[in-house]
Order: sequence, then C-alpha cells, then structure tokens
Amino acid sequence: MRQVNSRFVAGRLLQVVPTVAAILLTGFVLVHLAPGDPVLVLAGEHGDAAYYAFMRHRFGLDESLPRQLIVWLGHILRGDFGFSYVYGRATSVVILERVPATMLLTGSALVISLLVAIPLGAIAATRPHGARDIGISALALGLYSTPAFWIGQLAIIGLALGLGSFPVQGMTSAGSDATGWSHSWDIVRHLMLPALVLASQEIAVLVRVTRSTLLDELSREHVRAARAKGLTALQALVRHALPRALLPVVTIVGARIGHLIAGAAVVEIIFGWPGMGRLLLGALQSRDTPILLGLFFVVSFTVVLASLLADLAYAAIDPRIRLR
Amino acid sequence: MSRSAQCWRWIGCTLTVMIVACTRDADRRDPATLVVALAGDPGQLNPAITTNGSVNTAASLLYDGLVALDDSLHPTPALAERWEIENGGARYRFHLRRGVRWHDGVTFTAADVKFTFDQLLLRFHARTRASLGPSLASVDAPDDSTVVFNFRRPYAPLLQQLDVSEAPIVPKHLYEKGDPLRNPVNIAPVGTGPFKFASYTPHNEIRYVANRDYFRGAPALSAVVLRIIPDNDTQVAALEAGEVDWLYSVPGPARQRLAANPRVHVIHTSMSLGGSNCISTLGFNLDRPWARDLRVRQAIAHAVNRPQFVERVSFGEGRAADAPISSGIAFAHASDLTVPVYDTVAAAHLLDAGGWTRRDSDVRTAHGVTGVPDGTLFTIGFKGMPGQMVYGDLLRAQLRSVGIDVRLEPLESAVFADAVFTARDFDTAIGSYCNGTDPEIGVRRMYVSSSIAPVPFSNMAGYRNPIMDALFDSAGAAMNLDERRRLYHQIQSLAVHDQPYVWLVETTNTQAYSARCHGFSGTAHFAATAECGR
Amino acid sequence: MPPSTRASDFAELAPAAESGPPSGWRRPVRGLVLRRASGRIGFVLVVLVVAMAIIGPTIAPHDPFVISGGSLAPPSAAFPMGTDALGRDVLSGLLYGARTSLSIASAVALIALACGATIGVLSGYRGGWTDNLLMRTTELFQVIPRFFFVIIAIALFGPGLSRMVLALGLTSWPTLARVVRGEVIAMRDLDFVRAAEAAGATASRMAWRQLLPNVTPSIVVVLGLLVGQVLLLEATLGFLGLGDPGAISWGTMAAQAQGFLRVAWWLALFPGLAITLTVLGVNLLADAFSSARAADGGAP
Repeated sequence: MRQVNSRFVAGRLLQVVPTVAAILLTGFVLVHLAPGDPVLVLAGEHGDAAYYAFMRHRFGLDESLPRQLIVWLGHILRGDFGFSYVYGRATSVVILERVPATMLLTGSALVISLLVAIPLGAIAATRPHGARDIGISALALGLYSTPAFWIGQLAIIGLALGLGSFPVQGMTSAGSDATGWSHSWDIVRHLMLPALVLASQEIAVLVRVTRSTLLDELSREHVRAARAKGLTALQALVRHALPRALLPVVTIVGARIGHLIAGAAVVEIIFGWPGMGRLLLGALQSRDTPILLGLFFVVSFTVVLASLLADLAYAAIDPRIRLR
Repeated sequence: MSRSAQCWRWIGCTLTVMIVACTRDADRRDPATLVVALAGDPGQLNPAITTNGSVNTAASLLYDGLVALDDSLHPTPALAERWEIENGGARYRFHLRRGVRWHDGVTFTAADVKFTFDQLLLRFHARTRASLGPSLASVDAPDDSTVVFNFRRPYAPLLQQLDVSEAPIVPKHLYEKGDPLRNPVNIAPVGTGPFKFASYTPHNEIRYVANRDYFRGAPALSAVVLRIIPDNDTQVAALEAGEVDWLYSVPGPARQRLAANPRVHVIHTSMSLGGSNCISTLGFNLDRPWARDLRVRQAIAHAVNRPQFVERVSFGEGRAADAPISSGIAFAHASDLTVPVYDTVAAAHLLDAGGWTRRDSDVRTAHGVTGVPDGTLFTIGFKGMPGQMVYGDLLRAQLRSVGIDVRLEPLESAVFADAVFTARDFDTAIGSYCNGTDPEIGVRRMYVSSSIAPVPFSNMAGYRNPIMDALFDSAGAAMNLDERRRLYHQIQSLAVHDQPYVWLVETTNTQAYSARCHGFSGTAHFAATAECGR
Repeated sequence: MPPSTRASDFAELAPAAESGPPSGWRRPVRGLVLRRASGRIGFVLVVLVVAMAIIGPTIAPHDPFVISGGSLAPPSAAFPMGTDALGRDVLSGLLYGARTSLSIASAVALIALACGATIGVLSGYRGGWTDNLLMRTTELFQVIPRFFFVIIAIALFGPGLSRMVLALGLTSWPTLARVVRGEVIAMRDLDFVRAAEAAGATASRMAWRQLLPNVTPSIVVVLGLLVGQVLLLEATLGFLGLGDPGAISWGTMAAQAQGFLRVAWWLALFPGLAITLTVLGVNLLADAFSSARAADGGAP
C-alpha cells in the first residue's frame, strides 16, 4: 500500500516538470503571437521610425522569436523574469512588490471564509433538509451564482458610499502619516470590504463542501455508534465527524487557489487594492510583455504547486487512491 | 442548539465591532503638507527619457526647464535668465542663472543642459526628438553659463518646447555613466526644482519635501505627497473626505457635486495629462474607397451632433470644436469658419448623392460607389483606445439615424497605434490630438503628407495635399505673428474644405483642490506657490 | 495509472461535490428534478432567460444602441430601469444582452462537450498509452489558470465573440473529459458492455450506443455547472472591458456603471441582478438534476 502511494507521489512530482514547461511555452507563444508592438507604448507618441528601431534594439525586440525565448528562459533561470519595459526594473522585483498585498487579501479572505463556512456547513449538516440547512444552502448557492464584481459594486454603494463606514479604495488612507498600530489599523479598515467580497465567493464553495463531507461522515458506522451511546447530534458532529471532514475541506482550498487568485484580481481592480491584479491590468494596457509573462508564470506555478499539495493530501486520505 | 445561537451572537458582535470601529478616522497630519492624487504609478521619475504622462505629472515639481510657461503659456525665465534669438530664428542663445545647485549640492552648469539634450531628450524623449531633432544642428555650451541652440533653418516654436514638461534638465554628473534607462537615480531623482525627492513607495505614494534653496524662492509648503489612487471616483471621495488636497482631473459625473461643495474649489484648464488644447478628433482613413468621396465625409460631419458629445460624453465641459485648431491657441484659431452643422437631412441628401441609398433596410447600401461592390452595407469600423470608446458609443447612436452602422473596435494603445498608424487597417478612428501651445507642436503632424508614417498620432487620415504641405512649411518658418496667423487661417479653411477629420470636442479639464489651500498656479510647478492651512 | 478522481475536480465544480465523484450511470427520473422547489425555481429562471434571449429584441421598448432619453434618467414609467450616461434604455439593453450571454455560454458548452466527451470516452475505453497521453494533455490544459489565460488572450488579440468563445472553450473541457473517463472506466467491466463486446460491437458503435448514453446524466450535470461558470466569466470579462463592443453584454453594462455608482445605482443593480438570476437558475437546475440522480440510487 505504502509502495503504491510513494509511486503515486513520485509520479505526481515528475508531472510537474512538463506542466511547468508547457505553461512557460504557452505564455510566451501567446504574448508574442499577439498583434501590437510594445515599442509603440514604450516610446509614446511622436516618435519616428529610427527612434522605434533604436528602442526595439535596446529591449531586444528585434531578435528572432526563438532567440527571445532563450533569452527569456535565461532570465527565468536567473530569477529576474526579464526587464519590465515600463518600470525599467527587473520584472521579478516589480511583481514581488505586489505579492504581499495580494497575499494579505487572499489570506484574510481565506481565513474569513473558513471561519464562516465551516460553522455554517456544520449547522446545515446537523439537520439536513431542515429550515436552517435550506437557508444556508440557498445562501451558498446564491453567493456561488453572483459575480464578484457585482458584490463589490453593491458593497461600495451600500456600505462604503451609503453608510460611509468603509473606505472605498486603496490600502491606506491618502495623506495619512500614521505609523505603527494606527497604520496597521488603517490597512485593516481598507482590507475589510475587499476581503469580505472575496471571501463570499469562497464561503459559497466551502459551505457546500463542509456540509456534504460532514453528511458523509455522519452516516459512517463509528459516528452512528457514538450517537447510540448517547451523544447529541452536535457532540457527535464536533467530536467525531468534523475532524475527519476538515482535511477534504482544506484540500479543496488548496485546489481552488487558482480561483482565489482570479477572484482577487477582480476584487483588487474594483477596490484599487495594490496587488498583482492591478499590476495585470496595467501591464495589459501598456503591453508590458515581461510583466505579463511573469504574472502568468507566477500564478500558474502557484496553482500547480497548490494542486500538487492538494492531490498529495487527497491521496493521503482517500483510500480509493491507495487501493488502486 | 444553544451553541449555534452563541455562535451567531459571536458573529454578530464581531461584525458590529468591525463596523463601529471603521467609522472612526485615524489620521493626523501636518497642515503644510499638500496631498495630491495621482492616477497612475509612474514607475520611475525621470521625465527626460519618456513621454509617459504620469511620469511627467509626478516629476515636474522636481525639475526645471530652461524657460517656464506662465498661466497664459508665455515663456518666462527659469534656468535661463534671459535669451537672444539670432540669425533670423536659426540660433537661440540662453544665458543661464548662476548659483543654481542640484538637490545634492553640486552646481548646475551649461554642461548639464547640453548633456540632457544630447544624451537623453534627443534620444529617448519621443516628442522632443521628433519636433527638434530634424531641424536642430547642435546644442553647444561655450561656457558654464551659456547654451546655444543651432538650427538648420529658422525654427519659431522653440521657446514653447523648453519648459519642464517638454524638456526637463537632469544632472549630468549622475547620468553620464551607464544606461540612463536603468539608472537607479531614476527612482531616487535629483533635480533643481522647488521640491526635493524624499521617498517612493511603488504603487502607494511618492513624497517630496520643500527645496529651501530654490532659486525662485522657497515654497510655502513643507512637503508634497503624491498618493497613487487609480480610480477617479475614489480620488473625488478622498478629496471630499479631506484625505487629499489636489486632483489633477475631476471625472464628469462628479463635477457638479464638487462645484457645490464649499470645502472644495475647482479650476477649469485646457491642460490635461496628454498635453494642452486637446481636440477629440474623428479621423477617416482616406485609403478606404468609401472615405475618398468628400460628400460622404461631409455627410458624416453633418450627422454628428457635436453639442451632444459635449453634453453626454464630456458632461458639459469643454466646447464643440468649431475649427481644426483649438481655440486655446488664440492667435491661430479661426473662429469664422463654416464647419458642417448637425443636419440629418443634409447628411441624407449627401449620402444619397454619394451612392449610399436607403431602401427597405435600416442600413444604407452602395449603388454605384467607386471601389465598392453594389449592395454592400454601409458598415464602418471605429477604432479607439478603451478610454475613448464612449465616443464610439455615441457616434454609433448618432450615425444609426442616417443609416450608417458603426462597428466598435476597442484596442489597447499599442495595438491601436499598430493598427491605425502602421498597418492603416481602420475605417475611422478616434484620437485626442493635443494641439499644444503652438500649431507646430500638435497640429502640423495631422495634415502634412510627410507625417503619414508608422508613428502614433501622426497624420491619421493619410491626408495629402501639396497646397497644405506648402502652407505648413511657410507657417513654420515665418517669424512674424500676423503672417503666421494668416497662414494658419488658410490652413484651417483648406482642412474644413477637405474634411479629412471631424473635429468633435475641444476637451478641457477640471482640477479641484481643498479650500484649506490656495495660491495654485496653472503651470507645471502648480504647487510651488501654494499655501495650505488648517 | 493516474487517480480517477482528484481534489482539483471538485474544485472546478464545487456544487457537484454534494453528490461526490460522479459515479452513477443509472437513468435519472426526470420528474424528480421538478419535484423539488429548487428545481422548479431553477427551471422557471432558465426558461425565462431563454425566452428573453429568443424574443427579447422584439419586445424591447427601444433600440438599445440609440439615444432614447435623457442622460442618467432614473427608473420611471418610460424607462423602467432608467437610462445610461448617453441616454440609452437599460431595460432594452438587458433584453438584448440575454441573447449574447446565452449564445456565448452554449457555444462554449458545445466546444467543451465535443472535446470533453470525445477525449473522455476515448481515454477511458481505450486505456493504455492512449489514456496516458490524453490524460497528460488534459492535465496540462486543466492546470493553466483559466481566468488569466482568457484575460491575457482576449486583451492581446482584441475582443470579439468568437475569440472569447474559443478561449473559454479551449480551457473548459478538461473537467468534463476527466469525469466522462472516470465513468467509462467504471462501466468498462460491467456486464452489458461485456455483452455488447461479445456480440461484436465495434469500438465506435460501443462508444455511441452503449457508453455515451450512460454517461449522459453526468455530462448534463457537469455541463450545467460549466454553463454557470462561463456565464460568470463572460460577465467578468465584460466588466473588465474585454467584452465584444458590437454586442450588448450584461457584464459590459455593469462595467459602465462603475463610474456612476454614486449617481446612478440602477446602472449597477439591474445588469448584476440579471447575471445572478441566470447563473442561479442554471446552478439550481444542475443541482436538482444531480440530487435527483442521487435519489434515484446513483450516489455512492
């Protein structure tokens, strides 16, 4: 059993190599096949042909495609992902500056969603098809069906503009010289709305997953036996079913990381959160190819890594995979 | 079930605490600090190597040009104390101010000026390179305080092109080594301007402090903070909340509200991020068979309701363009032209005459149009950058009523430039043509045949008329203002007659500032003379 | 052999997780779908939207492309959902927009169906190196972050309905392929398949006559959820300004609202509501279908 498992693990790890290679190639081909010359953005209006040729040469845009690919791969191996046309700095530096903001947003959203979704899922599972279950399931499906940008718009109209309770945009108050705790508090105030909006999408999924895995667990023999010994439904759920149900939930979280980052990009754009999503939008407008490729690569790699971890965790807990 | 009730109570409490806590505002700040909202992260702060509008906006306070332009765009002394125009306009001699120091203490000299032009502006600054490059023979520094510009032929508009937003002077001693595009000084800049660089937090804020030794006198403000707030509406909200003191541009829907707010003052100006005196212009691709017929171009000009553009696209700001040259260039603007007015009946007649007839369908079809097969539907493409698509939306709505179908094709700027100016693959396109302070800067490029080139915002229409070329040549070389006025009037009559473009809206810009501040100027150094109180 | 079920499959299709990995192959009782209130609500919503897509343009009070009223007029008798900044009728826009959304979603579903079912059946029935090769390829497509891929592709190549359908379709089939393959593998060794094989059925006949009809219920559930996702993605792309400007899209309408959130709530409310109700309808129906199947005895 253990052998099969480790063979699965090794195989799964090996799979990562061609996957990453394919992602790199996909991104590169996509960006370079596209119409539009980055030099025109780089140089702005009023340039002349000689000037464009000069700038093109400076940024290596006059090389052949295979040669540009090799140069770019070299940059990746060196860890700088190439040189941003617009920022005039290494792409990796520009992207890394944005990572903390995105991680703060996605991390908070994840924590909020787990804190909200697991109790809700548990409440729903205690009495399937009861009034609470129907209410919670309907809420989850409703959230799952709502576009994130619309929740964002409604939140801005209702909470930020209507009540005036939340800042509308950005990560810190403009003009604030606050430091230390009040600075952190300032960030938390700005974080709340975007994090809640992003969390709503995750809550929708996690409630359903929690509920269904819990229902599965509750129907198992040992839980039934515990019930028979006089535990209440809630006690049986918390002591016996919940711990076993949590791992699949965490696994799903790992596997959904791509959705989470995509959602974060939209939320960042609506709320002006200075993370990778905004960078993506800017890079698209200015056709900053190295940034685009770098972002695509960073996101893809995160997804590959997370889905690898999720699959390994899943393999560790799902007997069907071990037995195969 | 008491547990779950507890759980709900707990969630409720947390939310309440969060909301209550959020309503408190937690910032104190120095009243002599001006907070400015900036729409885009400039990425770097050397305006001599790029024409990127946000770099220019962000960095102007740090630098000076040889001359400055006052509120009415007349050249006034800056780094140059005085100047002489010699040789019938082919040589300019500038006498530099003495004792000016860079922010790092090094003395500013003529060598810095020569270096900035030779190594940066004429190589990397697309506008200066394109306008000065062809006529400029050399920039010389005969001594530490004299700079001489030698031209191949008389060049009238030079003084308009030497202010800080067109030709900022950067320090030679920091840029002479290595690649200027990747020089770390670009994000820790050193200039001569009224403010000194203090810090730059990418995507968040840039901080400047007052230059106490500024040669035109120390600014009253102690610091300027440029906050990067990409969303227009948020900028407005921040101004209303007192978090920000200055907005470079107020979005249309918010203008009325701000104008009614006693804590905010507004300024109307012809300056915008892209330049000054901009006209949103619809260009015909004259290479297309349908667009070669003057009657069809005139018909479209008649079908366009320009006041409606002003009302619904610019929210009442700016004015319907009534001439090819902006009214902001007062000496050259012709106010007595007969530009086609909104008249759908006239448009329909012209279209019928041009062979585009309306039978039973909504959209006209071709019957005997040269170069177009009979029965072709009159569907024309409209290319523009995403921010300009609202013009297309309204154009589509207006042309639908005369039987022309408009297909919108939004393109990101790089692709737009490529498709329109390089491949010339478009039917009509929209461009914001900033006329600048002189027709030589921003008008010539739209009409002369030599600027039909793969260069963004050159002669979009592909218009060529030898008479027009000759008129521009005379106007550019004429040194006498009356002579130039007469020539530009002829140019505009000819342009209206040939109608290669439809001039839609002279866009203006609304700036807004907190009432606790005053003394802003309309120049690039808008904050140098400002003061802020509590 | 790769595992038949992976965490990422659930993640792709979260609502389906309720019924566990799709494994039922028995025919669902159709009536069960409509017996539940949720199924009926979903059915009604979907029927309404489909009706809008079909007759919307004929019942629309105005041409949504022309100026029919004042700028930013609030909802009134003449304009039940108000007008936008240019003075165009929002209600007419919504009615036209249904057609855009549904055509994109169904075109993407068709591409996903064609690719996913073919690859899934082939992979599951043939097994061996065919399976290995196809599944490796599927995994490559599955791992590409769809949202980023589609955004970058459309932003780079320019917006357009066909491009959007292609980009979405290319990245939408892997889940379906994996689910179909899993079911086919489970079915491969069952009696009726063996019997058909013994009777000399050819491989393609096998696939069409025996296997596909039996995986249809799973395909319907997966496609239903996929359509919901595609509708959301299409709206999001429109919101980011990447929609086709020649067609009216709910996402694009919502994007235009962004600059007027303070002054014209109706611009944001109605398009978002239309998207949400449509996606909700599709998801409810898909959910009811999969529950009905589970109730019929297909659940593990």
